[in-house]
Amino acid sequence: MGTISLEHGDRLYWLGRYAERVFTTLKSLERLYDKVIDRDPSHYIKYLECFGLTDIFGDCDSFMHDFIYDKNNSYSVAYSLERAYDNGIVLREEISTEALSFIQIAMDKLDSSHNSDKSLCVSMLPIEDTLFGFWGCIHDYVYDEEIKDIILCGKSVERLELYIRLKYRTELINLEFERLCDILRRIPKNTPYRYNTEQLSILVEIIGGVGCKGKESEALSALARLFEH
Amino acid sequence: MKQLNFSFSTKLTFDNYVHEHSFALRTMPIESSVQHIIGCELNISPFISVCNTTDAFGNTVTSGYIRDNHRFLDFEIKGKAEVNPESPKTDFMPCYAFQSKYTAPDKDLTEFYKGLSAECRGTSAFDRTEYFSDRLSDTIEYSKGVTDTKTTAADAFALKKGVCQDFSHIMLSLLRADGIPCRYIAGLACCDGETHSWIEFWDGGKWVGFDPANNCPVNEDYLVLSQGRDFGDCAIDRGVMFGEYTKQLQLITSHLASAY
Amino acid sequence: MKTEIRTAAQGAVPTAPSADAAEINELLRRYGVKFGIYKNGQFKEQLFPFDPIPRIIEAEDFKAIEKGLIQRVDALNRFLFDIYHEKNIIHDGIVPEDFVYISSGYLPQCEGLTPPENIYSHISGIDLVQGKDGVWYILEDNLRIPSGASYPLIARELTRATSPATFSGGAIIDNRNYSKLLKETMDFVNRGGINAILTPGRYNAAYFEHSYLAELTGATLVQNDELFVEDNMLWHKTYSGGKTRIGALYRRISDEYLDPLTFEPSSLIGIPNLMEAYRSGNVAIINTPGNGVADDKGIYYFVPKMIEYYLGEKPILHNAPTYLPFYKDDLEYVLGNFEKLVIKDVAEAGGYGVVFGRDLSEEKLEEFRNTLIKEPRRFIAQEVIDFLDLPIIEDGGQVMRKADLRAFVLSGEKTKVWASGLTRFSRNPDSFVVNSSQGGDFKDTWVLSR
Repeated sequence: MGTISLEHGDRLYWLGRYAERVFTTLKSLERLYDKVIDRDPSHYIKYLECFGLTDIFGDCDSFMHDFIYDKNNSYSVAYSLERAYDNGIVLREEISTEALSFIQIAMDKLDSSHNSDKSLCVSMLPIEDTLFGFWGCIHDYVYDEEIKDIILCGKSVERLELYIRLKYRTELINLEFERLCDILRRIPKNTPYRYNTEQLSILVEIIGGVGCKGKESEALSALARLFEH
Repeated sequence: MKQLNFSFSTKLTFDNYVHEHSFALRTMPIESSVQHIIGCELNISPFISVCNTTDAFGNTVTSGYIRDNHRFLDFEIKGKAEVNPESPKTDFMPCYAFQSKYTAPDKDLTEFYKGLSAECRGTSAFDRTEYFSDRLSDTIEYSKGVTDTKTTAADAFALKKGVCQDFSHIMLSLLRADGIPCRYIAGLACCDGETHSWIEFWDGGKWVGFDPANNCPVNEDYLVLSQGRDFGDCAIDRGVMFGEYTKQLQLITSHLASAY
Repeated sequence: MKTEIRTAAQGAVPTAPSADAAEINELLRRYGVKFGIYKNGQFKEQLFPFDPIPRIIEAEDFKAIEKGLIQRVDALNRFLFDIYHEKNIIHDGIVPEDFVYISSGYLPQCEGLTPPENIYSHISGIDLVQGKDGVWYILEDNLRIPSGASYPLIARELTRATSPATFSGGAIIDNRNYSKLLKETMDFVNRGGINAILTPGRYNAAYFEHSYLAELTGATLVQNDELFVEDNMLWHKTYSGGKTRIGALYRRISDEYLDPLTFEPSSLIGIPNLMEAYRSGNVAIINTPGNGVADDKGIYYFVPKMIEYYLGEKPILHNAPTYLPFYKDDLEYVLGNFEKLVIKDVAEAGGYGVVFGRDLSEEKLEEFRNTLIKEPRRFIAQEVIDFLDLPIIEDGGQVMRKADLRAFVLSGEKTKVWASGLTRFSRNPDSFVVNSSQGGDFKDTWVLSR
């Protein structure tokens, strides 16, 4: 097996988080868009509130555009994709040139979707497909399980965090949490992504018990401290 | 032939914790035809394992690595040597004939050399060294605190002040300009509470020591710790460390005395 | 999908891939084949633009080049050993000592040191040009980890994918064995532990190369702050607080910054006490510190003499006709024939410090003459070679441009020449300088198998 430096360990984890943030953000925006079509046009403000943000957009279209394309908005798809690239570019020999190329392709597709006359879901589809390609590469080409687990751990933590923040259904949160626990069990002791027992038991109590409803901030805080040592 | 007892210690204190500290010491006296080391003990604290290698100039390099937090590094040598200037050293390296980082002259130093060279009547390496050193002591004032370990020969010459290290560098610069190969020596001298520096010049097949700071030839009261082109090759201790420390305090004491 | 896989007609040699430049450049971008530069204080990644028309070297021609390069690199390795040990070539009056000891590449700190298996230059990049007369001339030797092999390597990977028919006849030697050659070279000198490639990081111009070669050879890509020397061995810090031993270190940072405890004390990119680990024989440094003395532009003049001196053979490849103003006769010739010559400052690299006599104004010429008389050791002068121009694609059509070839020679158990190379050219029709740091572009180099 290879040797993983502290920096690369970090990069792997954040590559997983940002790549997932792109995907779940897209999916959530699509879900939101679906509601806006024939129901409440100001529903996007609720989305903003989940992140503690106030409305500076005035209408849903400019909100959508900003949350997809604005590279200066740290909640946007474009921003997360760039961060995924920044982390991935230094991991070529761990994740393979091919996996890396999928991030580049996703960036290219996002750029070219800018002027598309297609609907949101259709124009974002190629980007989602590309991300599936990226994850396929990670599963297929990364033989070092320790490396793979760090990326997958980042991915799962990110998805769980967004699901809790965006108040996804309890069953979905439970499923993702179970997945995260599976990964966490595989991460060896005395490594940076070994779980903190105390924080994990808080999560088990909240998510495994009555569910997150009303306890979002406690769950999020435990999740943020999951790797504290 | 003369027997000398020597001791030398350095206490480095940092005003905050440092870690991942790599160091290289050149404190073990060189074994040569001039000085036979009868015994030498090196103590380092905090206690860690160290390795010794011999560098290209013939110096013993003691290297080590302290990973964990610490606020000091002390090291000390103690031993006994037999000094015999009658059997000089003959180890030569071509680089000693050329100017090096610390000795490269500027315009003023070059002019100074030209003046000396024209006035000097002597032709032997010894005569020229002696003459240059005489004139150097007329020109440069021995003064502490004006120069530091980064000061070059040209810098010190411009200041007209300096310590033994600066005298050595200027002397090396002049001799090399004159075509006489020579090298920098860091070591201990009797009656000096710190480390001392002098030079050796190549005199037709052998090295001869000369002390430009005291303007006198080197006798059996000198002990060589390290040698090289200039101070850069001879630093007693060099280190790289991580931490938030802002200052380090270095306390050096040395002692060299006749063993009789 | 194009179904163009068919066997090339017997004997016919393709001259270009069927895919166009845009297609391959698009793929190069996708695979992150970029090259970082600082412009106006900002970091930018840009493509090293690829021209699809390859340089083609005939099998016979390559055989001669190959023999000549092996001979040259073997002699250079022997020279380096000699300089840092007995110095016979100086004592025997072949190379004047002035050219060795005041060269900035000569490191007295390396005196007496012997690298593992006696190999100094593991990876040598020899720059050649072909004259109009078909003769190959050596322009310079690069013995301090030359870069650029990764570009033709990945370009080939991509052109094979886009234009399979071009390669189907088997007339073009596959160049993708470079990673195998490189791994063999590292393994051969490895002193125990993993192979590692040291990179200054993402913002270094050669970052793509470092990461790609690490991926292909299975070496670990490392940065200096992850490394330390303990017990005179080189270690990689792992994220779990442990350490992994490194037996061979590929590095591109300059010698003077390599170890702050032996060389430049202010270096922040080096590894403290690396030289002690190397001196103790516990790690191979690729390429070996101190090599700069042999690829110095002044020493270049003496390489043919080295070949005769060490190997007792006639040099197979020629230097470009070179004059050393250090010698009185040569100085006179140079002063009298400025307009015919190109003058190079031996201390400069990367296409800098190169002056064409014919481009100088009367005033500048006079100034230059005086400098030359004052500091003859600083310069070499060469006849301007009438390059054989190569076709490139420009605005959809073909134009002819000057190009050079960087050949890669790897020295392990045996000395081997990579059957490919980096062909660089300048888009500027008036430029004779081809170098990536001066805005050059690149081509793949096809060596024919028959």
